[in-house]
Amino acid sequence: MSPALVFGAGEESAAVGREARAAMAEVAAFTPVLPKNVILPQRLRPPDDDGGADHAEADRAEAGIAEADRAEAERAPVPPEEPAEDVYPEKVRRGIQGNIIPGFNKDHQHLFFYRITDVAAAKKFLRVIRPHISSMHEVLEFVRAHRALRLRTGLAEPGLEATWVNIAFSRQGIEALMGPGSCDEFGELSFLDGLAARSTYLGDPTDPSRPGHRSRWKVGGPDNEADIVVIVASDTTTGRAGKIRTIRRWAATYGLKLIFEQRGDTLPGSLAGHEHFGFKDGVSQPGVRGKASSTPGDFITPRYLTPASADDERPRLFAKPGQPLLWPGQFLLGEPRQNPEHRYQRGTAATAFPSWAAQGSYLVCRRLNQDVNAFWSFVAEAAASVGRPPISLAAALVGRWPSGAPVMRTPSADDAVLAGDLFANNHFLFDDDSRPSSMRPIPGYAGDAFAQARADMLGRVCPHFSHIRKANPRDTSTDLGKPSDTLIRMILRRGIPFGKPIVGVKRPSAKLVSQERGLMFLSYGATIEDQFEFLTRRWANSAIQPNVGGHDPLIGQRDQRGDRARFVDLPTASGPVRAVLTGEWVTPTGGGYFFAPPIDALVDVLGA
Amino acid sequence: MALVTRFETPARLRDLPPGSSFYDEWHDEIDGLLGPGTSGAVPGSGFYNAATTDVTVAGERVLVWMGFPRELLTTQPAGRREAFRQGETRGDRAVVPAGMNTQVEYLEWFTSRNSAKKITRVTFTTETPEYWKALYRSRPDGARRVLELYRELLGNPAITAASLTTASGAYNPLNQWNTSRGIVHYIVDGPANTLEAALQLAAGAAGGSLVDDNYELDGLAATSADPRVVIDVKGLARRGFQVTAAEPIGIYIGGWDDTGFTKPDGSPAGDYWRVVRPVGATGPPALRLVYEVPAGEGFVVGDLSIGGRPIEFGGQIAEQLTVLVNGLAGSRA
Repeated sequence: MSPALVFGAGEESAAVGREARAAMAEVAAFTPVLPKNVILPQRLRPPDDDGGADHAEADRAEAGIAEADRAEAERAPVPPEEPAEDVYPEKVRRGIQGNIIPGFNKDHQHLFFYRITDVAAAKKFLRVIRPHISSMHEVLEFVRAHRALRLRTGLAEPGLEATWVNIAFSRQGIEALMGPGSCDEFGELSFLDGLAARSTYLGDPTDPSRPGHRSRWKVGGPDNEADIVVIVASDTTTGRAGKIRTIRRWAATYGLKLIFEQRGDTLPGSLAGHEHFGFKDGVSQPGVRGKASSTPGDFITPRYLTPASADDERPRLFAKPGQPLLWPGQFLLGEPRQNPEHRYQRGTAATAFPSWAAQGSYLVCRRLNQDVNAFWSFVAEAAASVGRPPISLAAALVGRWPSGAPVMRTPSADDAVLAGDLFANNHFLFDDDSRPSSMRPIPGYAGDAFAQARADMLGRVCPHFSHIRKANPRDTSTDLGKPSDTLIRMILRRGIPFGKPIVGVKRPSAKLVSQERGLMFLSYGATIEDQFEFLTRRWANSAIQPNVGGHDPLIGQRDQRGDRARFVDLPTASGPVRAVLTGEWVTPTGGGYFFAPPIDALVDVLGA
Repeated sequence: MALVTRFETPARLRDLPPGSSFYDEWHDEIDGLLGPGTSGAVPGSGFYNAATTDVTVAGERVLVWMGFPRELLTTQPAGRREAFRQGETRGDRAVVPAGMNTQVEYLEWFTSRNSAKKITRVTFTTETPEYWKALYRSRPDGARRVLELYRELLGNPAITAASLTTASGAYNPLNQWNTSRGIVHYIVDGPANTLEAALQLAAGAAGGSLVDDNYELDGLAATSADPRVVIDVKGLARRGFQVTAAEPIGIYIGGWDDTGFTKPDGSPAGDYWRVVRPVGATGPPALRLVYEVPAGEGFVVGDLSIGGRPIEFGGQIAEQLTVLVNGLAGSRA
């Protein structure tokens, strides 16, 4: 390997600054392409025509497909009913918080972090807020109604809006409400320990003087941990504002002390759905197994695959190309989990939790500041060093181009059309060539005609350090062995950006540059240690796990007795070049470990 | 690439003088374990013996896996603490019945405790019984050198030659200094932690029926190590490559991560790692690694915490170790 190149150790040169700004402008100039596989009714205009940005094209694409081909789908072969999946009837769906499954995914959100000051009053708060907690059933029904209305009106935003609320509790919060020892039956040690106690294990700074040290967090540090987090999510800022006022009033009335609050919004314009560095986020999410009714094909996560041959078992494994199906116990306590030794077989259910917590989920919250200039300055400098265009180098760091198109499918250049094809933009393997999928008929969708991904076992196209390959190595073997182990690590991401974007701003003011921006990272899982912490500590923060090649250059953290340098081995034509990253562009500034209980427990148990 | 003329010892150990016949004997040992190689399902692919098959190397594949037994963590309903407690199970069959040894990931460790039952030292090894048997067999100095090494590694000059051998005078891998009273090399045999087992696993993986991708592989073990080797070798063979273990052939401790280890006062733990074998190494890869707080710090390993949790078992540290083998892939020259 060539001698290491060290970045971020000195002053940024003018040339690097220019290159960084040019790259940021290029990212921001991205024009989203409406998914070509959306069935567009005549009156549905492209988003640019009505002056609004397409904020949730993924949702709308699926909605269009799901509704427009409903009749045809009923005649089409139903997806395989093997393995048999459980029905979650309405009564059960009404008991599960909706941000867990299927997820709020609203453009405008607000998080309140509270400390309980009066236990009796706080219990009243729970009884008051209980009817306002949005369930899995409510969210699923909304999605269905939204799809139907869009088809009927032909409008991208047909006017159906919702504002939802969910809630979760830290260990301290539960113990404040239920008394000491009330969390003893929770077997999830990391939840009991709390995020602050686990901070340095996650690679956060050990030096209290450094930004990112837990003592400097806005919430969730040793002295400012929250008891309760309330999530408000809305399609509109007015809807959000109204609910915020209500929550504030109740909190003030019922003895909750506000520790911190954070507004989160989808980035505006063409950056909708992107994070602050400029890359499309949230493209890849697992699908959750389970049925809404016993009607054949009535799955909670829509299924699109059919067997390409008698021995093609991909429809048992994937909901749509690239979206693996996971047993609900990976996210809901007490439900059947993955068999850790098999890709789709049902496993056992977890038992280490109090009975009232069944069908609840652990919520991880991390407030992550993003230093956009630092990221792009590194990219510009490193790109110049290895003779590669900055956007191309950045895509290698992420594993996707700014549009969200995966480098595995389009190694040389971004492809917004590919990014917009929901059946192609997540369909690839790492170790083997990806194969065309056999799908049930979808009117207007001709199929995935993009070049299939070629095997990249040695990480020369999508390096082993790439963020998406770290977070989900897919079919690649890992330090824990087989791909079925990777499936048990997956989480449901529900994050939202905060702060004003700076990517693409030609002459940002000093004030804008200095403002905070980043991601409110939220994820749900049935464990914290074996899912979120595993992905963070074991893979993102390691240079050799799951495969040798460097740290995750986006979210990876390292603190070896104060040494925070990371590295990536950049593939070049003449072999790998080690780039040492001394700068940091993602800094933890708060968060917490919480438990999102079943809704009835708010009154029957926690509020009792 | 020219044929390997003499296989190296693991980590290029020089336990006997460079001119010793031991090094030729070790070459023969490896050559015998590799045998003639195996053919893969794809024409041209297979697992090869670099001493007999000339292959142009196209790339290197580093295989890493977790040192702590995966199955204990994925199947333990009683929680992680119980998994770590069970991970301490290593010993001869008088203590641990066949098949009950849990340290099955090609990493074994011995946990030393003080009178207060607190951990004072954890010693990890990836050394194979084949190496120590071969060293002991080597004439004229092998047996003497093995005794010297035992005394040196365990810090006990009172270890006797007789305590290392069977009644017939052969080297006994299950001697007390490698089981109940310490550790020098692998002993776990169900499944076996041996170089032979690792190489056979790789050789066997090159063949077999073809699959389209790794998701389709069935029957993989519940460990981290075996699927790691099988999947990677099969993947390379599927692509038509010849595969082998890279020189110096061996199983190594590939990394150790003490991020989040803290002293009793909550400050970051010092660098308490010590590579013992190979001599002179300060970082990975290692064959023998010790984690021990230096005297004078005023506390012991058992007083440290990992991510806020006290260290009660050696396995908590083993979880932070990775095991490594280096593989090569290429085409016949």
